[in-house]
Amino acid sequence: MDLSPFETDNSLSCRLTSEIPDVCRTEDCCLGIDEAGRGPVLGPMVYGICFCPVSKKQELKESKVADSKTLTEAERENLFQKLDEARSYVGWALQILSPNTISTSMLQRTKYNLNALSHDTAIGLVQYALDSGVQLKEVFVDTVGPAEKYEEKLSKLFPGIDVTVRPKADSLFPVVSAASICAKVARDRIVKGWAFTEDLGEVDTDYGSGYPNDPKTKAWLLKYLDPVFGYPQFVRFSWSTARTLMDSKGVTVHWEDDDEDGEKSAQRQNNKSMLAYFSAGGNEQKPAQQTHRFFSERRLKSLAAL
Amino acid sequence: MATKKKRTPNAHTSSRVVIAADSAIDTQKHDSDPAFVRLRNPATDATSLYMLSGGDLQLFEVKAFEEDFHSWFIGQTVQRDGRLLFVTPMDPLYLILPYLIKSGKEGKFQPVDQVVMDDEFPACSRLLSCTRSLASLHHITEEKEVGTQRFHRYSQERTMNWLKKKVERTVSVLKARNISVGERVKSTTYITMKSESDYRDEDYLRYAHGLVSEYLSQHLSKDLLTHLQLPELKSPKETEPPSKKRKLTDKPVEAEEDYTKFNSAEFARKPPKKMTAAQKSLAKGDKTGMKTMSSFFSPKVKAEKK
Repeated sequence: MDLSPFETDNSLSCRLTSEIPDVCRTEDCCLGIDEAGRGPVLGPMVYGICFCPVSKKQELKESKVADSKTLTEAERENLFQKLDEARSYVGWALQILSPNTISTSMLQRTKYNLNALSHDTAIGLVQYALDSGVQLKEVFVDTVGPAEKYEEKLSKLFPGIDVTVRPKADSLFPVVSAASICAKVARDRIVKGWAFTEDLGEVDTDYGSGYPNDPKTKAWLLKYLDPVFGYPQFVRFSWSTARTLMDSKGVTVHWEDDDEDGEKSAQRQNNKSMLAYFSAGGNEQKPAQQTHRFFSERRLKSLAAL
Repeated sequence: MATKKKRTPNAHTSSRVVIAADSAIDTQKHDSDPAFVRLRNPATDATSLYMLSGGDLQLFEVKAFEEDFHSWFIGQTVQRDGRLLFVTPMDPLYLILPYLIKSGKEGKFQPVDQVVMDDEFPACSRLLSCTRSLASLHHITEEKEVGTQRFHRYSQERTMNWLKKKVERTVSVLKARNISVGERVKSTTYITMKSESDYRDEDYLRYAHGLVSEYLSQHLSKDLLTHLQLPELKSPKETEPPSKKRKLTDKPVEAEEDYTKFNSAEFARKPPKKMTAAQKSLAKGDKTGMKTMSSFFSPKVKAEKK
């Protein structure tokens, strides 16, 4: 697995793919989708697909791919090696969503939540397989959100393909397990070799699992909090763990789409109280002198002091 | 997650971003540095910030661009307010004018250095050393020369002619700069389809008058409006129609329109094509034993017919 396309700029989303085996273009295929790194506050989320001819399902099963969570890192590396050796009939593709992509998606003005991001990534990968000429007949997916809804959504998008969405699909279908191994291996390698774009000097890489409840991760987050900038791009800013720390330890930053308390923001925007419209203009205060709109439109005003 | 953010007042500001003409900060010719001074704002009568440079030869006004949610990155520091200061040349006559008007009420010819004095703003006497001050006093005063001494008296007539020229010059700049002056356009960021030629000259004149009035007392601004032969705009309150009162008559009250056609069988109400989610859920509700809304209005009419 060559991670260099992602490592050249780890702030972006990146797709890594194996070669498409020739049999996959001619024979009916099955495809599994799974993800790695959904929960951690650190590092990317990796979506993986794995596909092979339906006729080769048994061979895949015999290679003893299993749910990546039940395996040690060495076993996973080992299994990935096996998948790589079976490249004559097994293909895979990965979509690496950098922590920066996740942060900016979830924190942008029109919020793009993690489920929507996950669904769209999975859809994108299936579409990639189709575009590459893989003869897809069956798709197996580990669910994100309610399984029925997700299944309905995918079936509608890909008519003619038999879509099965199940929780724990990675332990039920070998092809999903294979996808989960690809994703997990990629994520492990990326997290291990993360190249910080920020100038942090010697970075302490002992950040634990990256999950919010890991004490090591928490300690690391505390250590690398910059009061102005927050965190390196390695951290998902949208995670409440990171946000809480930034809110309490960092400098307060106000954005235009911040939710403000109604009364306060009304005061700041010089809004009149509703009641003011009902009184007969008795206590209406005449503005001292309104600035001409040439200036007010350009947000220009005189100063009394520097 | 809605966290409360407190707006802390500006504790200390270390750097400012200023846009100024080269001539404003030219210290080559003159030994003295440009200096910010506080002077009486002719329009508001309050303190405003100005700048004198080149050994008090040139006057500049200071305007600040200020909008919510802006900050600066300056070198390796962060400046919390996104303020942008503009230092632009200004005619010192505008600032001298209020003092002359005040003393003009006495009707005496006086030396200007005795007139332009202010206990609150001692710096105002420095205005007289500006290159344009003494040379252009004749625009707003009548002059008398006795020996080597010059005496001045405020002239409303001259001032009005001078201000009229200012307005006309402003109009030509507004036209040249393509500044939208129509009432219809409230913001310069909105694109208006109205071409420049569609604006009436009065629009320009009024806009320019407003702009010049930013440097005049309210009283003077009104005088100028008359001098420009522009009718005063009515405030929206005056244009509002008088509140309606029911007319009292002895004649029987009759409906102006025939609403009975809505009760006839021919009048079939078209079913609404689409219902919103809320309407659908309402429609699903059990309505047995409930009166329809219309039943509260119709029975009396029916009873009369029988």
